[in-house]
Order: sequence, then structure tokens, then C-alpha cells
Amino acid sequence: MLLRIARKEFVEMARDGRFRIAGGIVLALLLTSLGLGWQRHGEVTEAHQTAIAQERQIWESQGEKNPHSAAHYGVYAFKPTGRLAFFDPGTEAYTGVTVFLEGHKQNQFLYRPARDGNTLQRFGELTAAAVLQLLIPLLIILLAFSTFAGERESGTLRQLLSLGVRRRDLALGKALGVAAALGLLLVPATLLGSAALASAQADAASGGLLRALAMAGAYLIYLGSFVGVTLAVSARARSAQFALVTLLAVWVFVCLMAPRAATDLARSLHPTPSAHEFAAALAEDRDGGIQDVNYDDYLELRKTELLAEYEAERVEDLPINYNGWRLDVSEEYANQFFDRHYARLWDQFEAQDGLRQKAGFVAPILAVRSLSMALAGTDFSHFRRFAEQSELYRRELVTFLNADLRDNAGPQGFGYTQTEAFWAETPAFAYDAPDAGWALAGESASLAALLAWFLAAGVWAWRGALRMEAI
Amino acid sequence: MLQAISLSKSYNGVRALDSLDLLIEPGQIFCLLGANGAGKTTTINLFLNFIEASAGQALVDGMDVAEHPLETKKRLAYIPEQVMLYRNLSGLENVEYFTALAGREDTSRDQLRQLLLQSGLPREAIEQRVSGYSKGMRQKVGIVIAVAKRAGALLLDEPTSGLDPKASNEFSELLERLRGEGVAVLMATHDLFRAKETGTHIGIMKQGRLVEQLAAEEIGHADLERLYLEHMRG
Repeated sequence: MLLRIARKEFVEMARDGRFRIAGGIVLALLLTSLGLGWQRHGEVTEAHQTAIAQERQIWESQGEKNPHSAAHYGVYAFKPTGRLAFFDPGTEAYTGVTVFLEGHKQNQFLYRPARDGNTLQRFGELTAAAVLQLLIPLLIILLAFSTFAGERESGTLRQLLSLGVRRRDLALGKALGVAAALGLLLVPATLLGSAALASAQADAASGGLLRALAMAGAYLIYLGSFVGVTLAVSARARSAQFALVTLLAVWVFVCLMAPRAATDLARSLHPTPSAHEFAAALAEDRDGGIQDVNYDDYLELRKTELLAEYEAERVEDLPINYNGWRLDVSEEYANQFFDRHYARLWDQFEAQDGLRQKAGFVAPILAVRSLSMALAGTDFSHFRRFAEQSELYRRELVTFLNADLRDNAGPQGFGYTQTEAFWAETPAFAYDAPDAGWALAGESASLAALLAWFLAAGVWAWRGALRMEAI
Repeated sequence: MLQAISLSKSYNGVRALDSLDLLIEPGQIFCLLGANGAGKTTTINLFLNFIEASAGQALVDGMDVAEHPLETKKRLAYIPEQVMLYRNLSGLENVEYFTALAGREDTSRDQLRQLLLQSGLPREAIEQRVSGYSKGMRQKVGIVIAVAKRAGALLLDEPTSGLDPKASNEFSELLERLRGEGVAVLMATHDLFRAKETGTHIGIMKQGRLVEQLAAEEIGHADLERLYLEHMRG
């Protein structure tokens, strides 16, 4: 019974020219976006891998120089992009994926394509994720708005119900029919995407399959809730036209207006400084010192402790190189400010993300967007994890270099040099990519919002079908 | 068997149907005559449980339609005044779909094709999409859908509207055959001639009330027409 109803819905849609055109356009967009993402991802990954390979080589072959000069010479760290990033590039265009690590300071990320973008990019890049989040729901509405309202208007619903068909069979069958029509678009796209995924080059493969499965699940639940809402509205609407207008209004609100409003609200509740303001505030704070102890006083304090420890009168009498030691103290001093300011900035961004997740209860697109980015490894949490790890590595590297200067330079001071054998001994950066569980752990609000929508839409459609008028 | 007991329906205080008492036994064809708005379609909609009765009961085989909405519908077949079909499906596909949903999935495609041919649908039209069908052709498909359901009771709301005289006549023969098989038929119609020819019983409705009820053999054509017009004027 269910299958027969589903099949009839499917056949009708497949034969309707309007649906064929709409479906064709969406499929074309989906495939194009997959192709574009694939190409972009390939280029970026290749560039990364070349850069990562060369970076260490450049570092090791930097020739004979003082270790502190090497700290200024610096290294680049690249955030590895997972395979799924080609499907959903997330915030990477805004946060960047490359950072320059050097002595004395924690840098902002480089290569942020959004900064060079034109106004057209404000409408969002054409990504497969955007097609699934925005356009497929629109297609669902077009496929199914008339499913009950249209049949009631034309009179077939009256004949159908006179047969003694159970209304719940009718609702489920129709939902299945819409699902089958969508499957016609999504299954080939998914197969193509999976093939691309399997053959994609990736820096980090960790949890790839689990992440992909979780992502597919999230999108199915998201799209399923749209099918439910569409059927519910169609069951209750007086006419097909009324159903269409209502559903389009829901789509505009849920998919266009609510996300925009949530972002504005998040910004005003958890304001973040511009890059310039951030740098200025950091510099001002550092000059002001910690509890009115500025760097010079701090250094003086530590120097007294140091001299006492070695029972020396003057720094020249110390068995270690004073300048090497002093550089380490300056790092230690500055790092407190970086920690405080970056943590405050990043906490604000995370608070914004948290609010957007909760807004998913109002607009499920926010929930699925957040989940999608998290699973693709391109959301802010993944950025922060990388940024924090790369910063830890920067400190480890700089401390390593300064320690060598302190312990081995002796009276040579800045005239002391190291050779390539030493550069090869310096620690290398290895990013510990998180697994799917880590990605989902921060998404509990999104998951709850998505499930709540799905259940509510299902119940609503169910009740709508049971209560709908035949005539 | 169809039965109405003090069946009433009001819309905003206006009585569309007023205390209808009716009993249609198996093998009877009850023709409801009356002007537009007399309550004929309301009666049929009440038997289908599409609208809720304000008072009284509609029973199918002794079961209240409001209490057993699915079970009673299984025992009914219905042909509306305007049979509506799925435009993107062929006549045969429409019949197949409705028949399967009526619970007669065992009926083969060939049997349905045969029924469509018998109904007078042109052979080449059977596999064509119904968007090109005339009203009469759609009506024939509707009749086949009702027949294929093999229900014990038929609810007909002006079923022959749009049919040419020959098809109308064939429909009367079909009803005669079903009557012989023990089907109870309730037919709303404007066609006095057809009512007298095919009906076993005739009722005249006016403003929601059944004002006259008689056996068809008790009255001649001319008398029926006179009686009807008297009621309409009076």
C-alpha cells in the first residue's frame, strides 16, 4: 500500500515537466558545486603538501646562523584540510589555514581568501553544502506543496479517501514518494561525491568515514524535517496556492532571514574587535604591564632571582649566556598577554557559534550548517584547535632555540652560530587531527535542534494528515 | 445496506439536511430527486463521513460511519458528479491505483483493461494520460473504479452527468446488473426519466427534507413529473 502510494507520487512528479526542470537545475548546481569544490580542494591540498614538504627543507637548510636569528627566520604551519572540506569549506575562507610562527609574537593567520573577495562573494560561495542546505529544501517545497492541498482542490482526495485508505498510509506513502524523487538527485550526487571523497588527496584522514556518515545522517534528518513541514502545511492549507505561499514564506524566514538575524544577534551579544583593534589592545595592554609591573621591572625582578640562584654579582659572571636567558624571559612575559587576548577573542567567537547552534531550534539550517562544518573539520572549533597547537609548537621551538643560546653560546653571545645538523634536531610540527567524536562533542545543541525539528515536523505532518478535511 | 436515522446537518444554523430517515436494502436503487441545494450531496457526504452529522446517524451495514470510518468506507463505492483523476497518469494507471488503494490489489491489469473497454472507453484512450480525456471519459473511468471495488453499497452523485445518451443507457444496465447482485444504491440525480427507469425507490427532497418517498412501480412518468413540480412550486 505504502509503496504503491509512493510509486504513484513518484511517477506523477517524474512526468511533470515543472518538476523535471526544477530537479534538473538543482542537480546541475549540485554537480557543479561538487566539481568546483573538488577542483579547489585539489589545488589547495596540493599546494599545502608541496609547501609542507618544502617548509621543513628550507628550515633545515637555512645555513649557519645564530639560533635566535633562526627564531626570527621562522616557519610556516599549515592547517591540514580533511577530505570533506571540498564539500563544505566552512569558515576557512575567513579564518585562514596558514600561520607564520616566529620568535616574540603570536601572529594572525595568513591567506584568508575572503579578504580579497569581491562583493559577489557576500552571497556565499557555491558549495555543495550550500546547495543541500538552501536549494534542496526549496525543491522539496516545490515537489510536495500540492501533495494534499492540490488533491483536495482537484477533488481526487475526496475519491481517494472514499476508498477507505488509512490517512497515515497516505501521509507516509507521499513522504516516501518525495523521498524517492529526491533520491533520484541525491543518490547519484552522493555516489559521485563518495567516489571523489575516496580518491581525494587529504592531509588528515582521521575519522574520515565516520565523519562522512555522520554528515550524511545530519543532512537526511534536515531534509526529512522539510518534507514533514511541507506535508503538514499541505494537509492543512485551504488551497495549493496558499500552501505554496506559506511554505515559501517559511523557507525565506528559516533559510535566509533567521541565519542573518542570528549572526547579527551573536555579533551584538558577543562583540569581537577588528584585527586592528585587537592588535592595538594587545600592544597597549603589554605596555601597561601585569598589575602595573612593566617588562623592564619584570626583567629586573627575574634577574635578581637569577643572580641569587647562581650566587653571582653580575650577569657576566653567570655560567649561562644571559641574553639567551633574557630572550626566554621576554617570551614568557609576552605569552601571558597573547594567551589572555587570544583566549578572550576566541571565546567570543565560540560564544557566537554557540548562540548560532541554539538558534537552530528556530531555524534548522543553522544547526545543520554548524554540524556540517564541524564534521568537515572546517568550523571555528577546528580552527582554534589548530591555532592553539601551532602556538604551542611555536613556543616549544622558540624555547628550544633560546635554550641552546643560553646554555651553549657562552661569551660568544649573538656571535654564536649553529649548523644544519642542529636545525635537523629541532622539533617538527605535527598537528593532532581530532576524530569524529571530538567534532560532534561540541555540537550537542545543533544535534538537539535538528532532532527536535525532525520530530516536530513528523508529528505535525502526522496530525495534519489525520485531521485534514476531505472536501 | 444503507440507513439514515434522523440524520441532520446544519451549517451556521441553516439546516442543509433535516431529520432524514432512509433505509436502502440490498438490491434496491434509491433515487434522490431535488433541486440544487436540496441536501442530496450533503446526504452522500454524510454517508462518506466527509462531514460530521449535527444529529442522527448514517449507517452502512449497521455500522455508524463516524465510529467506523475505515470499515464503512470499505463497503462503499462512490462516484462523484465530477470524477477527478491524476492528469499525468493514464486511464488504466488511474484505475489500477484507485483499485489497489481500495484493497483490491488482486485484480489484474487485464481485468481492469477489460472493465474499461466494457465501460465504453475507446481502446486507444486506455493507455493515454487522462489530461486529454473528456468529462464523459473521466466519468466512465470513475464508474470502472467503483465497479472494480466490488462494494456492497454504491453512492452516486449525478454519476451520468456528461455522459451521452448511449453511455447513460449502458450505465443504467450496469446498475440493473449490480442490483441483481444485491448491491444497495443511493443515487442523487436530476434526471426524472432515468430515476423512474432504473430506480426501485424514489425520494424527493426539498430544503433538506425528504418530502416524498415512493416505490418506482407505483407511479408513472407523467405522474412523477407532476408530483415533482408540485413539490418544487409549493
